[in-house]
Amino acid sequence: MKFKIKIGQKEFDIEILQVGEETKIKVNEKEFLFGEKEERKISHPRIKIPKKYFSREEILAPISGEISEIFVKEGERVKEGQKLFLLSAMKMENEILADKEGRVKKIFVKKGQIVKKDEVLLILE
Amino acid sequence: MKILKFEKVESTQKTAKELVKKGEKEWTVILAKEQTKGIGRKGNFWYSPKGGLYFSLVLPKTEIEKIKIIRDLVPFLVSKVIFEEVKEKPFIKFPNDIYLRGRKIGGVMIQNFISKRRQISILGIGINTNVKEFPEDLREKATSLLIEFKKRVSNQKILKKILKEIQKVFETISK
Repeated sequence: MKFKIKIGQKEFDIEILQVGEETKIKVNEKEFLFGEKEERKISHPRIKIPKKYFSREEILAPISGEISEIFVKEGERVKEGQKLFLLSAMKMENEILADKEGRVKKIFVKKGQIVKKDEVLLILE
Repeated sequence: MKILKFEKVESTQKTAKELVKKGEKEWTVILAKEQTKGIGRKGNFWYSPKGGLYFSLVLPKTEIEKIKIIRDLVPFLVSKVIFEEVKEKPFIKFPNDIYLRGRKIGGVMIQNFISKRRQISILGIGINTNVKEFPEDLREKATSLLIEFKKRVSNQKILKKILKEIQKVFETISK
């Protein structure tokens, strides 16, 4: 059985088929099987987008301490492993490094600021 | 433990960091006869001519709070080894500097390199063992075992002793 439905301005081609004891419903390109066992999605159009384009990452303070240096600026592109901050804590120098390449979206701290453990220092996207 | 020996480096800390990036693992020691840009804490210059003992040790991955304990203990371990050599007690200006007869004879620093995926801690130690002389501007502030006791010591022996002491500390901490 085939029919069309319209939700708002969007139209959907619907086809309902009986496959053995299961019911297959096709909605545009997607197919869904329904039966007694469980609902299963059997096909899904996939678009591969590299994760780096939409992932964003918060860089947190690993320990409480003072931001003694900020090595990057907002908007700057950074490479994986590039140093972002020098955090002085317990009279040790801790370089905070970028986990991945990306763009510095926002810096939340200033030089000389005291930060607490797990405080967000920077957002990388 | 692996000891990588160099004639001359800018700083053993810097070399250690670069080598870790290239795959060197924990308990690797970077030993140099001379440093051209030796550093102390806060990036302070550490005069490092031939004769001194300069090395960095890549520490096993350890919680940062425990790394602090190591940093606190290492000056005492170094002082103990110096005492065994010259039978005179050094003075520790906590937490980084070691003095003898009122002048600086050694220093200790730890640099941590932290990302979410990885943490590398590098311990750096510099001791003025067989340094013959210091530039005029440092003579009031720094000294060496050779200057004070008029005899050479074995850098190799001191290095081995210090490394053994550090290993013992790690064994205790990891229990």
